[in-house]
Amino acid sequence: MNFELTDDQRDVQVLSRKILEDYCTNEQLRRFDQGERFDPILWQELATAGLLGISIDEQFGGMGFDFETLCLLVEEVGRCVAPVPVISSLVLGAVALQRFGNDDVKRSVLPDVASGKSLLIAAFSEADHAGAVPTTLKATRSGQRWQLQGEKHFVPFAKLAQHLLISAQADDGAALFMLPSDTEGLRMQQHTSTAGEHQYALSFNNVELDDNQCVLAGDKAAAALTEINNLGVAATCAQMLGICEVMLRTTASYTSEREQFGVKVATFQAVGQRAADSYIDVECFRLVTQKAIYAVEHESPRDALAACLIAKIWAGDAGHRVSHAAQHLHGGMGVDRDYPLWRYCLWAKQLELTLGNSAELTEQLGEETAAEFKQALHN
Amino acid sequence: MQIEFSAEQKALQQEIKRYLQQLFTPELTAELAAAGAEEGGGPEFRKALRQLGADGYISMSWPKELGGKEASAIDQYIFTEEIIRTGFPYPFLTTEACGPVMAEHASEEVRETVVKGILRGEVVVAIGYSEPGAGTDLAALTTRAEKEGDDWVINGQKIWTSLAEYSDYVWLAARTDPNAPKHKGITMFVVPTNAEGFSMSPIWTLGSVRTNATFYENIRLKDEWRVGEVNQGWKLITGQLNRERLSLVTHGQAEELYLRVARWAANTESANGKKIIDRGWVKYNLAKVRTGLEALKLVCWKQAWAMDKGTLQMADASVAKVYGTEFFLENYRMLMEIVGQASTLRRDEHTDALMGALEHRYRTGSILTFGGGTNEVQREIIAGAGLWMPRGRL
Ligand SMILES: Cc1cc2nc3c(=O)[nH]c(=O)nc-3n(C[C@H](O)[C@H](O)[C@H](O)COP(=O)(O)OP(=O)(O)OC[C@H]3O[C@@H](n4cnc5c(N)ncnc54)[C@H](O)[C@@H]3O)c2cc1C
Repeated sequence: MNFELTDDQRDVQVLSRKILEDYCTNEQLRRFDQGERFDPILWQELATAGLLGISIDEQFGGMGFDFETLCLLVEEVGRCVAPVPVISSLVLGAVALQRFGNDDVKRSVLPDVASGKSLLIAAFSEADHAGAVPTTLKATRSGQRWQLQGEKHFVPFAKLAQHLLISAQADDGAALFMLPSDTEGLRMQQHTSTAGEHQYALSFNNVELDDNQCVLAGDKAAAALTEINNLGVAATCAQMLGICEVMLRTTASYTSEREQFGVKVATFQAVGQRAADSYIDVECFRLVTQKAIYAVEHESPRDALAACLIAKIWAGDAGHRVSHAAQHLHGGMGVDRDYPLWRYCLWAKQLELTLGNSAELTEQLGEETAAEFKQALHN
Repeated sequence: MQIEFSAEQKALQQEIKRYLQQLFTPELTAELAAAGAEEGGGPEFRKALRQLGADGYISMSWPKELGGKEASAIDQYIFTEEIIRTGFPYPFLTTEACGPVMAEHASEEVRETVVKGILRGEVVVAIGYSEPGAGTDLAALTTRAEKEGDDWVINGQKIWTSLAEYSDYVWLAARTDPNAPKHKGITMFVVPTNAEGFSMSPIWTLGSVRTNATFYENIRLKDEWRVGEVNQGWKLITGQLNRERLSLVTHGQAEELYLRVARWAANTESANGKKIIDRGWVKYNLAKVRTGLEALKLVCWKQAWAMDKGTLQMADASVAKVYGTEFFLENYRMLMEIVGQASTLRRDEHTDALMGALEHRYRTGSILTFGGGTNEVQREIIAGAGLWMPRGRL
């Protein structure tokens, strides 16, 4: 048992925090409250520091650290509500490609991702509820060609991306494709998410792809997509963790300064107790998140899935409770856009509902649990 | 017992529903759907409000001697609830709180201009209570009003003065005796927003709703614009807050979202060919929402009934306020879960109206737990007045 970071990991954490904090003051973030939530200068800075390639293999231009280390960067991005696409690019994009792409694809894309030269964005979500395996985007094969028909939803940064990594339902199972974002037949409808991020609905109208644009198909694809989804869930929890920690700490400091009735409002028991409940939430949530991140690298797919479900359920519950406690305990100040808390609260809601929410995942975990116990009976 | 509306009340409800349907012209609907206009103030909003005035709805609950119909609390609740259901930004604080208080306590001049204007639906009043240093501890307010000859001169700053950007007046609490105990040196004034020395700057909130910091620099008011006795303002404020609390938690708006989400889930097929509503967890969420809503509805009904009978207990208003405001947050959450990630998209011409409504509601709902009398203090009131427990320290 060991809950400590390695020295290297601590270095990554400190470096990430330093760079992100420099670029994410309230003033700087305001520039991204409208329009694309992407700071290209910060992204380049992260690239220069090697952080975009933290967990990309050295042979493809990265630093070759593990997923756990990448999640430290993601957590810092949460802590700073930084306008950079770490999950959709580095986790669901680069890590997925690294694990499941062939060497040619990796060689052609990953070094440019690590150097910040090109942006790879994953588009997995569909209009219907979350799930690893796609159902509405259909891929039909004819000879050496594929034809794509259907939709993807809630894709951030799609307009800025050079490469899109997408999942689809093929005749014989799932499949994974990579295509340029200006592919013919691909249309993007822009929306704005609750956190103010532009998200796109992608519609594929008879999009023609070459066989070499297919990253993965056949029996292995479904398991791969489950694994990728788990990585995305674990990383989303890490981002939510950073967000919750800041909401909690900000609340503690604000209530320790703010006076009403001639005393610090923190000295009202109701205030202190509610903040303490949030602290307990964040501690529990931190541990299940760390476990999920560990499990996706070190445990069986089934155990990893359960760990990810548990962590994401906690993310939704803790995110909701900590956010509302923070808003409540701040009084009016919490919703004033000149004070930094509001972005965290909106991000907490957005992440709560991304890649599955607590209610649906609780049912899914129940199904998994039932299956496990039924199987145990048979064995 | 009879835990439902009477035949007359049901008829009234239907009549109000029909009335509001025709009030909602396509132009009004379009105006309110535009970003930034949800809180009212546009020409169509003004037109509809004048219509409500002309048709006698604004004065519905006011005492007869003040020109009202003296409708029962239940009838008034029916109206409030139906109008909130439509999403019309009805200025409750103006019509239910400031208006009747002014009608009772203000000078002839204020009654002729402000009160009559409110009754005609031509006047909207913003509430100027909170200050940077006086939130929950409202009585700590420091905005000063000093007597100079027959006039008053007002200096100070208010914060969170909502609707000031289109209001005609601010209902202002100011300190007139800095030496008296804090509750005993406050007086109420009506400040025209076009008065010299009045200014404001916008505060944008998490919910995209605008509110304001308002500034009062040597504003000179005739004594006629004072309301109630000098240094007796606290009673006017607290009388008004009690009325405010009830209109905060009517169940209509929450129920409307529940009905729309349930209909949507029953109509929408997921990729596997089954309806969204067939999922176990969706049914569970709907049942939880329904369970919570039922209690909220009954709490509100009973309160309106008790108001009519004159038996409303002090703890009851606090029960409704705490339960209602905290239930709303859980309600939005559970409904958003059912709709899924689409519920996190902001309203635009390409998103479904239901999704946009949910997203907007959840984002503007969080302020109710501390606004209108914070829930901690409401809980203290419940423990004290409801259970006779010794009061904690304030
Ligand atoms: C969008 C918006 C619109 C508003 N509109 C108006 C308006 O039109 N007019 C107007 O006058 N005001 C308005 N308000 C102000 C609102 O009434 C105040 O925010 C509210 O009174 C709380 O005051 P505060 O924000 O200063 O919080 P604080 O009083 O500083 O409270 C901070 C925290 O301390 C807690 N706390 C304080 N005292 C105690 C206690 N004794 N025991 C336990 N806990 C305590 C509170 O519950 C809260 O959690 C508005 C506010 C917002 C955000």
